[in-house]
Amino acid sequence: MTAFEGLWLIPALPLAGALVLAAGRRLPRRAVAAIGVGSVGTSAVIAALVAWQFIASPPAGHAVSQVLWSWLTVAGFAPQIALYLDALSLVMVLVVTVVGLLIHFYSAAFMARQGTPPGDGYRRFFACMNLFVASMLILVLADNLLLLYLGWEGVGLCSYLLIGFWYKDPANGQAAMKAFIVTRVGDAALAVGLFVLFANLHTLHIQNLLREAAEQWTPGSAIAVAAAALLLGGAVGKSAQLPLQTWLPDAMAGPTPVSALIHAATMVTAGVYLIARTHVLFELAPPVQSLVAVIGALTLLTAGCSALVQRDIKRVLAYSTISQVGYMFLALGVGAWSAAIFHLVTHAFFKSLLFLAAGVVIARLREEHDLLKMGGLRRAMPVVFWTFLVGALGLASMPPATAGFSKEAILSAVWNSGAGAPWLFAAGLAGVFITSLYTFRMVFLAFFGEAHGTPDGETDPVMALPLVVLALACLCGGLLHWPEALGGHGWLGGFLSSTFGTEVQAGPVGTERILGAVSEAATFLGLAAAGLLYARRRACLPGLVRSPVGVLLHRLWSSGWGFDEIYAACLVRPFVSLARFNRNDGVDLVYQALARANRWFHLLLSLTQTGRVRGVATGMTVGAILILLILVFQ
Amino acid sequence: MRPDDLAALSPLLILAGAAVAVLLAAAVFRSHRLAVALTLAGLAAAFASLSIAWPHAPRPVTTLLAIDHFALFYMGLILAAAFTVVLFSHDYLATTCLPTEGVGQTSGPRREEYYVLMLLAVVGSAVLVASVHFASFFLGLELLSVSLYALVAYRREGRLGIEAGVKYLILGGAASAFLLFGMALVYAALGSLDFSGLARGFARGDGEGLLPLAGIGLMVVGIGFKLSLVPFHGWAPDVYQGAPAPVTAFVATVSKGAVFALLLRFFSMLQPPRHGALATVVALVAVASMFAGNWLALLQTNVKRLLAYSSIAHMGYLLVALLASGPWAPTAVTGYLTAYIVTILGAFGVVSVLSTRSRDADGVEDYRGLAWRRPWLAGVFTAMLLSLAGIPLTVGFIGKFYVLAAGVNSDLWLLVVMLAVNSAIGLFYYLRLIAVLYRPPSEAAAGAVASLSLPLGSAALLTLTLALIILGVYPAPLITAIQACLP
Repeated sequence: MTAFEGLWLIPALPLAGALVLAAGRRLPRRAVAAIGVGSVGTSAVIAALVAWQFIASPPAGHAVSQVLWSWLTVAGFAPQIALYLDALSLVMVLVVTVVGLLIHFYSAAFMARQGTPPGDGYRRFFACMNLFVASMLILVLADNLLLLYLGWEGVGLCSYLLIGFWYKDPANGQAAMKAFIVTRVGDAALAVGLFVLFANLHTLHIQNLLREAAEQWTPGSAIAVAAAALLLGGAVGKSAQLPLQTWLPDAMAGPTPVSALIHAATMVTAGVYLIARTHVLFELAPPVQSLVAVIGALTLLTAGCSALVQRDIKRVLAYSTISQVGYMFLALGVGAWSAAIFHLVTHAFFKSLLFLAAGVVIARLREEHDLLKMGGLRRAMPVVFWTFLVGALGLASMPPATAGFSKEAILSAVWNSGAGAPWLFAAGLAGVFITSLYTFRMVFLAFFGEAHGTPDGETDPVMALPLVVLALACLCGGLLHWPEALGGHGWLGGFLSSTFGTEVQAGPVGTERILGAVSEAATFLGLAAAGLLYARRRACLPGLVRSPVGVLLHRLWSSGWGFDEIYAACLVRPFVSLARFNRNDGVDLVYQALARANRWFHLLLSLTQTGRVRGVATGMTVGAILILLILVFQ
Repeated sequence: MRPDDLAALSPLLILAGAAVAVLLAAAVFRSHRLAVALTLAGLAAAFASLSIAWPHAPRPVTTLLAIDHFALFYMGLILAAAFTVVLFSHDYLATTCLPTEGVGQTSGPRREEYYVLMLLAVVGSAVLVASVHFASFFLGLELLSVSLYALVAYRREGRLGIEAGVKYLILGGAASAFLLFGMALVYAALGSLDFSGLARGFARGDGEGLLPLAGIGLMVVGIGFKLSLVPFHGWAPDVYQGAPAPVTAFVATVSKGAVFALLLRFFSMLQPPRHGALATVVALVAVASMFAGNWLALLQTNVKRLLAYSSIAHMGYLLVALLASGPWAPTAVTGYLTAYIVTILGAFGVVSVLSTRSRDADGVEDYRGLAWRRPWLAGVFTAMLLSLAGIPLTVGFIGKFYVLAAGVNSDLWLLVVMLAVNSAIGLFYYLRLIAVLYRPPSEAAAGAVASLSLPLGSAALLTLTLALIILGVYPAPLITAIQACLP
């Protein structure tokens, strides 16, 4: 028996865990934690076995598919419940299960410390988290777009449930609804995209669909552009890219492990996965692919600027996530598929590390989110400080955290990709500087300077362990794809080439080295600027902020470029007032008339329900006569 | 009769034997548990004997019965449904049917005869699904009906039960008369009582005359009554409401399922022309049933009556599949019936589990806030209602999907559109009921329906819910089994 036969267990175990947790009303906390963490842990072990076999003895065609069953078979429409494992989905499965396991482990202690909401919040939390992991695994393993869509909606649902986890505060419920509704815009586009694909190619099976599309559609044809643009709409919503990025900062209302798992490491990268998975369609639609790059570049700059001025540490990380996913989109847009996935993997490491460390900081400071009220935590919580620092180095792509190499891989791919590249490269490079600036701003404000109050208690070892493991991953993450310019051989890119085929070629080694050096220079410039502005609290910062331009930018950036206000002014308020104005319009009358007609028919027919036998018998007789008349005279 | 015939007939023989055994046991030793145990054993043995009969199928046994895979599949369905109903009945009778103070003397709780009647009704149903002859058709139907008249009126203390029983008896008798007269006219025209002879007659074109057409029309009345199709539906709400909840479940599932199986066999053997007068009649009846059922249920506040009206609509949906031709039609009918039986058993199971000694739990108020008092039961009821509404991931969706696909494949666009419209109307009252389940409980209701959970009924409900979801997600085995059993 090969490990591949156990493939179905990888999503099935967390799903079973979620069901058991949802049903088990009298489970003690210890059992809840054991089931919640154990199911994901077992999945991770199986995923590791599968990965080992996949690498040691690659299956034919570098892909395995496992058909579990057919849902329906009606007139040519036969959606199957089937899993498909290739290099891309294997990488995704490993990220989801391993990072998921670490975050679940951390949550077992973290959620026990939190004030439990009414009902058994602990059990509810793990049930939702397990359901999320199961949905995410279904999403990345699905072999057809219908099943992928099931996972896609499943993660959206879990995101909603977990953002609103502390539902006693109406603001959290609002944030959850905002996330759900804004992503729904993208989901609708994705659904329409699926209809378009099925209508034209008569299949939703991803591999067949890509093959058919490549054969039938000419590059740049209208249908290919439409299909790719609709898929992009879905990806933009889920991955919080411009213009649907507004939900992610508010999504920080959920518990911190949720932010780490769903809103940093996995769910928000689902859009990246979708585009990478259907990359053939995007290659057939060059305008859309360019659009992906432009969206990525704009998003990474705007979100990076917003991150510069946030005071809530989780909101800094949220904007940073939007910005980093922007890098992934940039890479996808220039056709550097494996560079995007590389960044996805390293980002999962360092961003979940940063979130988890921030979670400890917030919890030990008695729910203090404000960076300006932190400070001097370096001595009070050394483990958190060092691990946070490693994560920050990874985010800013600075040695010795090799995880940051992924960003340089993206930059070099952008440089080498041709048309429009200088502008995109410049945006990416500016992004590197901004990233470094806001990252070290966080580090300096939280961990250096004067202490404002002392933190509570000690860091729980159960929570410290995932931090250390993730920090190690950040230090070594770059080894996955050690750049050739530094004498490596780019293993991950080679591994993914079975999915992506040929990609953007790397330039000569000399150019690559210069590109790397330029990017590092930008990073160190950011560090220096952060040191200048925040480490010593020099007088120049207040001056900058109080200057007219500074005030304007500060207001613009801290509100996330005013997108919420723009949407409220352009969409929400007009729609609400239109609805108010139009309260008694003709369209409503139609529906009211329908409802009234149905009610009227109900009342009319109810008159026949006298309960008298003679009435019923008369009805039968009249019916019999009518039937005879029809039969005889037709 | 040869040994092979006996083997093929073994499910029927075992069922009849079980009825006699329960009767004799009750005469000697009155014990509710013994009666239930014997009944369940009989049903289980009959189910097991399907495997004995299977290798002999298809096989005509006398001219009256044909034991083929179709009949055996439906017998299995009927036996499984009856088994579930008996499980509910045990709990129901144990709670509600207690010794009563009569005039002058105390009478016993009289629970055992219930099972005799139920076994006899099952025999009738099993005969129906295997019959290929008017005689066996009528005998099976009467065996089923007469047992049901008594079962419907089994609770004698209330007014509703007796009233329902008498109504069912009078109207059912009239319907049987229609049916019998129709058979007589057909026989007069074609000179044959068995279906294959009739089919030959119809193929020759002898069925075009006035006499056979009128006969068929009168038979439609009789069959339409049993299926509670409009305009022969008047009995359904009163009987559903007045009968004990498990008996209602039996009427809704086993009785209707058996009659529909017979109708399916009759239709597929006779092959009436698709655009003839008969098709028009059936289509009209289907549309009328869908609309009348759903409209009557719309604002209904009595849950049992609501389910009665909903069943009228569901029978209308089934007629759409029956009218569809081609290979999908029998699959669609059988798949829908299976889904419907699973679902409606669960729904009436909940009603039966919630019922108290004084009355059945059929007011909407009894269900208000059920989710807070008994979350599991509310979850089961929600699943059943969603399945009735045909929401995906329940077996009800699969059934409805196949019916729609059959209709579309046969270009019955008008009927398909009507079906879709009616699904939307139906959704309203199913969701209305679900909303009631999750509202905050009223003070009065909390005390009114607070019965204890009994093990057999709960186990049956759990099984049904699992079946509902598993078949909804993974219907392939069911569909394969159905297609293997259909001719």
